[in-house]
Amino acid sequence: MRRFFPVEELARDHRFHKVTMRDRMADPRSAMINRPDRPRPASNRLAPSRPDASDAARALMHGIFVGEIQALEGAGRTCWDFTDDEAPLALKLDMARQCWDEARHVEISAKLADWMGSEIGQYAENTVLFEAACSTDPVLRLAGVNRALEGLAIDVFTTMKEFGETAGDPFLEFCEDWMLADEVTHVKMGSDWLRRVTEGDPERRAKALEFQGVVDKLFSYGGTRSDSQESPIGLARRFRELAGFTGEEIDDIAEVSLAALNERKSRAAELQAEALDAADEVASATSSR
Amino acid sequence: MVVTVAPEQFSMVLFDADAIRAWAEALLSRLEMGDRRLHIEVDETTPIARVQSELGDPIVVRADSGAFEDTRRPRQLSEVAVNTALGRTLLRARDRLSGRFESAPADADLDLMQVAAWDTYAVGRLARLGYPVHQPRWIYNFRNRHGFTDEADDAFAQIWAADDLSWEDLCALSDRAAAAVSAV
Amino acid sequence: MPDPFKGRAPFAPWDRRELPGLFDVEETARRVGNYKWAEIKLFEALGGWVATVPELDVKMRLGTHCYKHAWHAELWHKRLPELREMNPDRMTVPANDAMVRFVEALTEPEAPELTIEKLVGVYRVFIPRFISAYTFHLNSTSQITDAPTIRSLRFILQDEYEDWRDGEMMIQSLLDSPAEVERASARQAELESLMVEAGGVAGPGSIGVEPGSAEAVA
Repeated sequence: MRRFFPVEELARDHRFHKVTMRDRMADPRSAMINRPDRPRPASNRLAPSRPDASDAARALMHGIFVGEIQALEGAGRTCWDFTDDEAPLALKLDMARQCWDEARHVEISAKLADWMGSEIGQYAENTVLFEAACSTDPVLRLAGVNRALEGLAIDVFTTMKEFGETAGDPFLEFCEDWMLADEVTHVKMGSDWLRRVTEGDPERRAKALEFQGVVDKLFSYGGTRSDSQESPIGLARRFRELAGFTGEEIDDIAEVSLAALNERKSRAAELQAEALDAADEVASATSSR
Repeated sequence: MVVTVAPEQFSMVLFDADAIRAWAEALLSRLEMGDRRLHIEVDETTPIARVQSELGDPIVVRADSGAFEDTRRPRQLSEVAVNTALGRTLLRARDRLSGRFESAPADADLDLMQVAAWDTYAVGRLARLGYPVHQPRWIYNFRNRHGFTDEADDAFAQIWAADDLSWEDLCALSDRAAAAVSAV
Repeated sequence: MPDPFKGRAPFAPWDRRELPGLFDVEETARRVGNYKWAEIKLFEALGGWVATVPELDVKMRLGTHCYKHAWHAELWHKRLPELREMNPDRMTVPANDAMVRFVEALTEPEAPELTIEKLVGVYRVFIPRFISAYTFHLNSTSQITDAPTIRSLRFILQDEYEDWRDGEMMIQSLLDSPAEVERASARQAELESLMVEAGGVAGPGSIGVEPGSAEAVA
């Protein structure tokens, strides 16, 4: 078995269809376009009051399911990929513990997806989460996975938990809360190890935190997660604090996420303006004939 | 029957207007609406899955591309998604034209419970016509709007299995389900 | 009323634990070091394989088992300093070169079509060997002087039995035809030969005392 496993070879049965982040970003469509006949709603937060709430929640739950599979695979690879010199045994023991937790999350998500009426593989699997766990530097993996990815998980699970609570779903809130507790542990693990492994190496620590910032922005998915009500997933400030994120770190993530949202809105507005210009040109050319 | 699809050529998604037209024609025939004209407009600029319709001649269905999309393969067309989205919309249109749904509000004025109940009624009939539907998806949707109770599950089962409901019948079943949550 | 100050025997009549055991402190530390090394290699392999197996239930189970064996390694890691080994890494070694070759062969399969080979290596060869070595140790060491090792062995053996059962069931569910049975048998034979060469997880004497090695301590 090789060290450092390529994302393209993640083993899946025939039900799964993988897409990369690049594929996703190449989608020219946008839900952000604001038109007079179809104004964007003030709030896009995932809540039972949304007309598409059931389908949106199901899609998100399937995203959680495949995300947990990738988190399990990432933690497992960290047990294998590094020698004792590259990653201390105690770090690997913590990653093995994370393997167990993520396996349990896959089990929970599979049961919840079934409860919510989804079929395994019903939605495309974005492999960006495993890609964040592919670094050959264990410190970057901790930053990308245990800080950025698990931080996103905290946001997503909090949103789903609130959704379940509001909808009166007897299982969703219960299960999301259990998973949230585990994610807080994982973030703490990441914070502690990042600090220990980069002790006395400020350059390495800075590089790790920079990587974390890049991954945080990537995981904002063009504004899918932010403080703004326009994002379906909110920033779970309280749980992030419990997990050890400082107020300053949370504010940084909020800023990056909001920037991603605004970038996407600007781009959507540009596309809309271009489309209107093109339509005007056509109309003008037609009327002059 | 005449079914038209716009645009004829797609650039942002990999949809085939001819395929959409063929499936829509088959659906109209299965729903015994072959005497109706249908115009389908697909907004390929947005990935949302919304579908709206206007009764008239033709019946106009406006679908965002997400409604027809294969969720496994983004931007690609799904026959199941097309049939489910169009099927629900056309059955709602057929219900309105039947005379039994005269007191139903306009689509834009339906509340979320009413939409869920009517969707259940439509998709149950699609299932019996042989179209592949995943019932647990619709049970979950119904529960989200009517509560996670035995009464809601009972109402769902009745609505799903029904064929000749009136608007009043549908509302009665839906209201009874929702009342169980209020009573708790 | 019984007299609280009347002398009682230090061992109640129902406490039949014996003092002698086959292993002294050094021998126990040697074996524990070998166990730790082997459990580490196993949990690393299970973790690495998770991404390589397409079968969803197997994927999840490997993740759970990865942790269990990591926890076993941790228990042994904590036991070593208590056996006068202040540098646990020094004792965390394979029993011999043959054990190294065994682990290399065990962890060789990677392709997604080789789930049978991966599972057979673990659940029909490696884990049964852990069970036998641990059982021998449990039955042979001093029940009084080596109580902490016994306690860990009991917890670990419970996991090993459950993992063995889980793995065996997964293997059985994958054996669809004589061709798969042949694959499983060939793989087992290949790895069992290497394990025989190694003599077991703790080397020769893993499951029995050899002439000239540690004797029962009175």
